[in-house]
Amino acid sequence: MQKKRGDFTLSALSIDLSTRDAVRSTIDPEAGKTFLGGRGIGTWLLSSRPMVDALSEDAPLILSTGPLTGSRIPASSRMMISAFSPLTGTIGSCSVGGSLAIQMKRAGFDLIIITGRSRLRLILEIDNARVRFVDEDMPVDLPLSSVFDAYRSFRGSVAAVGPAAFSDCTYASIMVDGSFACGRGGLGSVMASKNLRAIAIRGSEHTVMACDPDGEETARADIIRLFDASPAIMGRSGISLCGTAALVDLMAARRMMPTANFRRTYFEDYRAFSAGRIREEQGPRQHACHGCPIACKKKAHSEIPEYETLSHFGALNENADLAAIIEANRLCNEAGMDTVTAAASIACLAEIRGLRYTGTTLVDKVREIAGARGDGELLRLGSAVLARELGAPEKSMSVKSLELPAYDPRGVYGMALAYGTSTRGACHLRAYPIAHEILRKPVATDRFSFSGKARIIKIAEDLNAVIDSIGGCKFAFLGATLEEYAKGLAAVTGLAYDTHDLLRLGDHIYTLERYINTLRGFRRTDDLLPERFFTEPGTHGPGIEVRPIDKTAFEATLDRYYKIRGCNEDGTVTAERLRELNPCRNR
Amino acid sequence: MQEQVEKYLSKLIRHGLVQGPDDAALYGLDDELYTNRHTVAPEVRALFDLLNINSLIIARPEPLHWSIMGDLIRDDPSLICPCDCESLTFIHDIPVLRTFDVEAAARALSGRKGLIIADTGIITTGTVSLEQAFISLSSICFATFVKYFADVLNGLYGFAATPKPGTARLDAARRILAPAAPAAFYNPLSRETPGTEAEIIQAMDAAGKAIVSAHLVDSFFGNISCRKGDLIYISQTGSSLDELPGCIDCIPIDGSSTCDLTSSSELLAHLKTYEITDDSAILHGHPRFSVIMSMFGEPLGFTETRHIEDIPVVAGEVGAGRHGLMHTLPAAMAGHHAAVVYGHGTFASCSGSFHGAFERLSSIEHQCFDAYRSALEKAGVS
Ligand code: SF4
Repeated sequence: MQKKRGDFTLSALSIDLSTRDAVRSTIDPEAGKTFLGGRGIGTWLLSSRPMVDALSEDAPLILSTGPLTGSRIPASSRMMISAFSPLTGTIGSCSVGGSLAIQMKRAGFDLIIITGRSRLRLILEIDNARVRFVDEDMPVDLPLSSVFDAYRSFRGSVAAVGPAAFSDCTYASIMVDGSFACGRGGLGSVMASKNLRAIAIRGSEHTVMACDPDGEETARADIIRLFDASPAIMGRSGISLCGTAALVDLMAARRMMPTANFRRTYFEDYRAFSAGRIREEQGPRQHACHGCPIACKKKAHSEIPEYETLSHFGALNENADLAAIIEANRLCNEAGMDTVTAAASIACLAEIRGLRYTGTTLVDKVREIAGARGDGELLRLGSAVLARELGAPEKSMSVKSLELPAYDPRGVYGMALAYGTSTRGACHLRAYPIAHEILRKPVATDRFSFSGKARIIKIAEDLNAVIDSIGGCKFAFLGATLEEYAKGLAAVTGLAYDTHDLLRLGDHIYTLERYINTLRGFRRTDDLLPERFFTEPGTHGPGIEVRPIDKTAFEATLDRYYKIRGCNEDGTVTAERLRELNPCRNR
Repeated sequence: MQEQVEKYLSKLIRHGLVQGPDDAALYGLDDELYTNRHTVAPEVRALFDLLNINSLIIARPEPLHWSIMGDLIRDDPSLICPCDCESLTFIHDIPVLRTFDVEAAARALSGRKGLIIADTGIITTGTVSLEQAFISLSSICFATFVKYFADVLNGLYGFAATPKPGTARLDAARRILAPAAPAAFYNPLSRETPGTEAEIIQAMDAAGKAIVSAHLVDSFFGNISCRKGDLIYISQTGSSLDELPGCIDCIPIDGSSTCDLTSSSELLAHLKTYEITDDSAILHGHPRFSVIMSMFGEPLGFTETRHIEDIPVVAGEVGAGRHGLMHTLPAAMAGHHAAVVYGHGTFASCSGSFHGAFERLSSIEHQCFDAYRSALEKAGVS
């Protein structure tokens, strides 16, 4: 499919599950130019119904590819799924790998917008232009691997929800191609609320042709050279060889591995789930999202969990049993639920009860969540609700009800701020300050200082909004920069956006997300971290003192952030501010 | 952020990139603008408004670099294309403007990390810290210096499709060659083999400072390691070699820890060198004439080796890719304890202290400078 130079008309498929209608349409090219695709276009579409309840019939579930999807630009075919989050109540977009985005693009769609609610549970089959609504009668508690097995001969890509989503788990995930999780924020529950078990997409009739193939090749070569030059990507312990498990040793060494529900920041037995141990015991092989030479995903007989999952089913629960971690991860994937929230909710319950759930008891807790029985009845609601129900709300280590992932904010102050300002709750990926605070990319910053961090985080949020809107992957930016991706985008689409044009679009997208959250009632108090981080120290190490975060300094940095982002003092965004940023207005 | 402004201003002067504090304006923006200037020019405010950045440096490079840039701009008034590996990888090319027009400067800086303005100097930016702007400025000085002298020689000999330099260029090159010579040889490093961890870190710190002050590397480039039994101490990626304490990774050679995630991108080349030699210390710098002389001739193929006198020159890209220098460098090091990587820099190793490695790195640079001068003379330019 060769588009005209600078043509940003997006092809959309709108599906109403209530009426079983599928309508093909095009999206206003101005919106395409302003929101690019992926997260940007998803946010724009959500902004037309900002107050809708996440699980209502009207609530949209949006699957959107990026303008680089299917091009030769490396690591740029990730899918963005957007909806309102039933866990947090915020906007809830989530990036997912696999080959869903490329199949959609090849079928001729840039995005799919799903609304309504089917009376009967169904599977949506999209085979190029043909759309089928297939009623299904598989048991609701069928593990997800069986759903994927049923579609093995389909030769496309499948996104599906599992038993957790059908048993009202608020953090149900959408699994893609059996291995890739759209994990955070409970978007699986949104899909299940529509009685939609799976979406199977096969595309072969459209290909992406760059407007400027030579420019595309130059950008590709520049990016690959930067991947090769990055120790965090292609080094001996880079994510290409070791997966994100490579972070285990480093986080332990830096004394920022959340342990015992964030009561400590160092777990003595971390080696039990380090990349070295995984290599010895599991002998994993690489696999990748479509078109990615980094191939950071690892698989043995089961999927090897990501760092966040290893650390939270490990250190956060004081569990040194690798087999139990892998099994807990497998169960989460089979049931379709976010591993980070599941592990953090169990750790929270353990602290409240003064217990430890490790080894088989940990695995049993995961089973209880998947089956919505025993403690699972409470655990499936996430740590914020659980802790409140048990009279100990301060024990939930969450922001806007989304549990913190495995980077203790007392060891990374940029991350502390970013957890607060993230538009979907405590998320490490909205600004990804680990890149500079720990991995020294593009340059190192002082991890124990707030100096300059307000603007650094704001710019990083804009950058990551762009990455998520073009189909890119955050890990690629541990080597390459937006400079090279902007050249690639211009070569592929013919739209000559440079780095700062793109960052401006990112600013607009991020501020729109904040505006939507403002309308949904979120304020400054929702941007604060749990009190523990301001009052309790972490675990010190050789030459490392992990002190409680100075709350006054944190709040002063938050003030600076609001000023830079153009928010009011209470963290809200006005419609006027949004209009100022709108690139259409400025064009 | 004010400390950052002061730190990088003094670094610009110490590294000989600018002559004095009046030649550089540094700006760091959080919610307020921090600078070494008393007033902020409207053009600077406009640049910050137009660009989503938090750091900016506007500097007039010291006279030698500035005259080189002026000469290169005469060839192509819109773009300078570096020829060394590191610049090709990280800065790609350098846009050029005749005069300081804010809109045009913002457009150029939207595509690249730095820009040369003929009537002003160099402008560089960062989105994370002033360190980025400093590194880009230092890279532009290095890239233009190397390109200038490499092009003169290759042009004279008709190599690498380089245009023959005109008389004016040759006159200029002849005039600036003497001031561009490497610093007089002086080896300040101890001959004592460091034993304890504290001694190793101290020795690495001293070695880093020595190669920076001898201008054998431009601060944030290059790397240093020391082997001790089953451990290797190595500078972290992007660390400044004159500020190493706190930026050294200690990692097991067998790969049993992944803490080397933050180590130098040349870790694998260091490891392989230790594997096939008895050496225990490696210094890697970017001495300018060594890099220039490595490019004297036709471009070197990945599997090819040539020599500058007795020093091997091998090809290889930064890092661990299929064409990474880890595949070519260690074997060359095994025979000579030193090798130059084509268009990139010199690695030198020794056993015991860093003294011998520094000696090699520095003497190779002097040897390459002499070789450059002889090659010019041989071509009739004296
Ligand atoms: S780096 Fe990993 S997560 Fe990113 S696109 Fe590649 S395989 Fe997918």
